[in-house]
Amino acid sequence: MAASEPLLVFRDLTKFYRVGEEDVHALAGVSLDIAEGEYLAVMGPSGSGKTTLMNILGCLDTPTGGSYRLKGREIARLSDDELAAIRNKEIGFVFQTFNLLPRSDALHNVELPLIYAGLGPKERKERAAEALATVGLADRMKHRPNELSGGQRQRVAIARALVNRPSIILADEPTGNLDTKTGQEIMAAFEAIYEQGKTVVMVTHEEDVAAHAHRIVRLRDGLIESDRTQEARRIEGPGAGSAIGRIGAAGD
Amino acid sequence: MEFGESARIAVGALRANKLRSFLTLLGTIVGVTAVIAIISLIQGMNAYVSDKLLSQGANVFTIDKFGFILSDDEFRDAVKRDDITFADAEAIAGLSRSAGAVKAEVERGDDVRFGATRLRRIPIKGVHGDYAEVDRTELLEGRHLTASDMARRRTVAVLGYEVWEKLFDGRPASGYEVRVGDAKYMVVGVAEKKGSAFGQSQDNFVIVPLTAWQKTYGTRNSLSISVASIDQASFETAQEEARAILRARRGVAPGKPDDFGIVTAETFMELYRNFTSAAFIVLVGVAGISLVVGGIVIMNIMMVSVTERTREIGIRKALGARRHDILMQFLVEAATLSLSGGAIGVLLGIAVALTVAAVSPLPAAVSGIAIVLGLAMSTGIGLLFGIYPAARAARLDPIVALRQE
Repeated sequence: MAASEPLLVFRDLTKFYRVGEEDVHALAGVSLDIAEGEYLAVMGPSGSGKTTLMNILGCLDTPTGGSYRLKGREIARLSDDELAAIRNKEIGFVFQTFNLLPRSDALHNVELPLIYAGLGPKERKERAAEALATVGLADRMKHRPNELSGGQRQRVAIARALVNRPSIILADEPTGNLDTKTGQEIMAAFEAIYEQGKTVVMVTHEEDVAAHAHRIVRLRDGLIESDRTQEARRIEGPGAGSAIGRIGAAGD
Repeated sequence: MEFGESARIAVGALRANKLRSFLTLLGTIVGVTAVIAIISLIQGMNAYVSDKLLSQGANVFTIDKFGFILSDDEFRDAVKRDDITFADAEAIAGLSRSAGAVKAEVERGDDVRFGATRLRRIPIKGVHGDYAEVDRTELLEGRHLTASDMARRRTVAVLGYEVWEKLFDGRPASGYEVRVGDAKYMVVGVAEKKGSAFGQSQDNFVIVPLTAWQKTYGTRNSLSISVASIDQASFETAQEEARAILRARRGVAPGKPDDFGIVTAETFMELYRNFTSAAFIVLVGVAGISLVVGGIVIMNIMMVSVTERTREIGIRKALGARRHDILMQFLVEAATLSLSGGAIGVLLGIAVALTVAAVSPLPAAVSGIAIVLGLAMSTGIGLLFGIYPAARAARLDPIVALRQE
């Protein structure tokens, strides 16, 4: 990796979908750099290409054209299994719908990335427990998702995203299924992650949520409409409680 | 991903759908049950048959006029042959160096009476030579027939255990006179109990000297000669010697077939094996069909399972599961599913075999090999029919899978 290259580099990224007879341009040529330690929000109306960008960024999908380098490595043309390995090692996903396994308890859900990383059971359990403790769920490890509140579920998901110490935390509407107060708690958690030096990329259509980021990239019709840095809104009051203040410890 | 995690997921998935899993497994359970029960019963019969056939001793062969007849034509030819005679037996006893013990025997059913008790159609065996040695007959009381009994045509008899029990009701019989047909015989001994073979009592007989027997029933009966070779190694030689002696005595020209038959326990074993292996193939074929049907049902339910858990697959893939990991997960699940069916089938099969053995004369022998075979077969079926659903799961696109509600 070149010392000067940012963590994440997109160049002329395109993505076409074939719908019937026509090609749909989900991304029409996006170039974007994201440096290590940034807190970035990707915004845009539906159909703007933000979901496609996020899928490619998260290595769930590959672009039709252009270049995507992560830590200096070209990954636009990797195979399924190579992409899986990068997702496992470099990306921590937080989804709008939490995406926890319903039949597994919190601890096992957090263990999942470590299972696919090939860690032994003992080390997995220790690290998963540690990650759950940092999101304030040390006493909920044996609870299944349906025994947890929405905020707690999202915190389990955050612990899972952090547990394998990825380069990027990628959040897709993380507060979309939560009430305002719980949403604030979760945003505070992301802030804590950011303050620990993690790179956070958040896809959202809510200005309130995007306001917490330091940089906002707006997409429209598969192109970047604007890209500006801002003074981020700080979380104040009870939302930034002690329970989530230690976030990031699990990520070194 | 290690195997333990796959197995954990598999057991969890089966537990979550207990009834469905059980219903899915019915085909496999029936198939394995059938295989285990069939194998257990056939092996039980094998052991029983070889035990009973060899009770006379593995080194004994029997010569008679007919030998081993399998068709009417053979029988019609054999009827025309010369009878096997007393002199033939004497010749073998005198000339064959590998013959350890030689017995000549003839048998006919007749009534046996003692006091007011009459037993109908009891096999009356006229014997000559070393019958006790060849038949391994042991005595409960009294003595065996002796060479002098035979030479002097003495009307003395050794009773089979069952005959003695019925006539004498457990009391000593030696010295008493019984009536065999119209003749009177003095009991000199009682044979020990031998039990039954193939549902037939082996203790239902009266042994008398052949000479005395012929006095009562005449000499126009072909004898059977049984020979015990001096040891197992000379078994074949003894048969060849007996064959040569008889061919010479009976004037069979070189190149012509024997005009008598030699039968060994092995002859019966071979016939029995031919019969059971045919039955075995048919029955295993039937069981195999139910296993294949069971496999298809497993494939079907695994397809359902993959569809139901599309989102789970998406989550796992997003978190770094490779195709291989997902493939393994569903293969292990299919194998676990069918293995549990196999295990239930093994237990049921053993239960069926033991029940059949308990309520019928058929014996059962449950062997480790049958159990291993049943389990391996069911697991193999699960793996085989799990490949397609598992491969489909492994190929799922994570984005599509995550979008699944």
